[in-house]
Amino acid sequence: MTGYRRVSRRTALKTLSALGVAAACGLGPMPPRASAQALGQNESVDDAMKRLFGGKAMKDGAATVKLDVPLIAENGAVVPISVSVDSPMTPTNYVKYIYVVADKNRIPVVTRVTLAPEAGRAFMAATIRLGESGDVRAIVEQSDGSLLAVKREVKVTVGGCGG
Amino acid sequence: MSDIGKVRLRVPSDIKPGDVVQVRALVIHPMERIERDAQGKIIQKNYNYINKVIVTYLGKSVATFDTTQNVAENPFFTFTFKATSPGQLKVQFLDTTGGRYEGVADIKFS
Repeated sequence: MTGYRRVSRRTALKTLSALGVAAACGLGPMPPRASAQALGQNESVDDAMKRLFGGKAMKDGAATVKLDVPLIAENGAVVPISVSVDSPMTPTNYVKYIYVVADKNRIPVVTRVTLAPEAGRAFMAATIRLGESGDVRAIVEQSDGSLLAVKREVKVTVGGCGG
Repeated sequence: MSDIGKVRLRVPSDIKPGDVVQVRALVIHPMERIERDAQGKIIQKNYNYINKVIVTYLGKSVATFDTTQNVAENPFFTFTFKATSPGQLKVQFLDTTGGRYEGVADIKFS
């Protein structure tokens, strides 16, 4: 009885790990959730940018986008970050997405915020993890499809990304 | 870990019609990060972390956060919305194990 159970458990584990390898995305998603996790993949930042924006031209957004992140993050496990964009937020001209990308993280894409004109102001803040010192970028996609990018370098004393 | 999924919303007490209101939302969640074995290979499993935060006001979506494991443990999100009429502000957190945590605030004008 015990022996039979052990074999079946092993088989089950083997099947599971095979599934994980097939997914090959570094996050081990279960199949129905694959699309939900497609945002964060274990890849280089250049690959991530290509995947998200397909090489579209980005303008320097220093005039309108304000990325607020500490210059030195003592604890990479909790880094407060906020992005605010100067935008009228009317139904014809608003900020559609705010992406936060950490260049040195193994999964570079941190978050994508989808905003509606009802938000009143293009603003987001969150606490994020940073693996090591490097650039943090905020990329803003406006309703007309144009992209604005800003980046800031953050020094991380103790890394906070196990991944 | 019985605290998982506790949501706290912080809304200013004094709201006037037409104000753009900033709300802070906190959820207690482990946000598991990727683990590696001794060889540095990623251990494949279904990590439990929040991958979606949905904010709705008066039944309409105001902001949606799609998040990855790069978001800190017990994450803290801030967003704004334009208070047009009294009603319900709802924040939903979805995680990769099917967990669904909700925080609700009633928006009233003073």
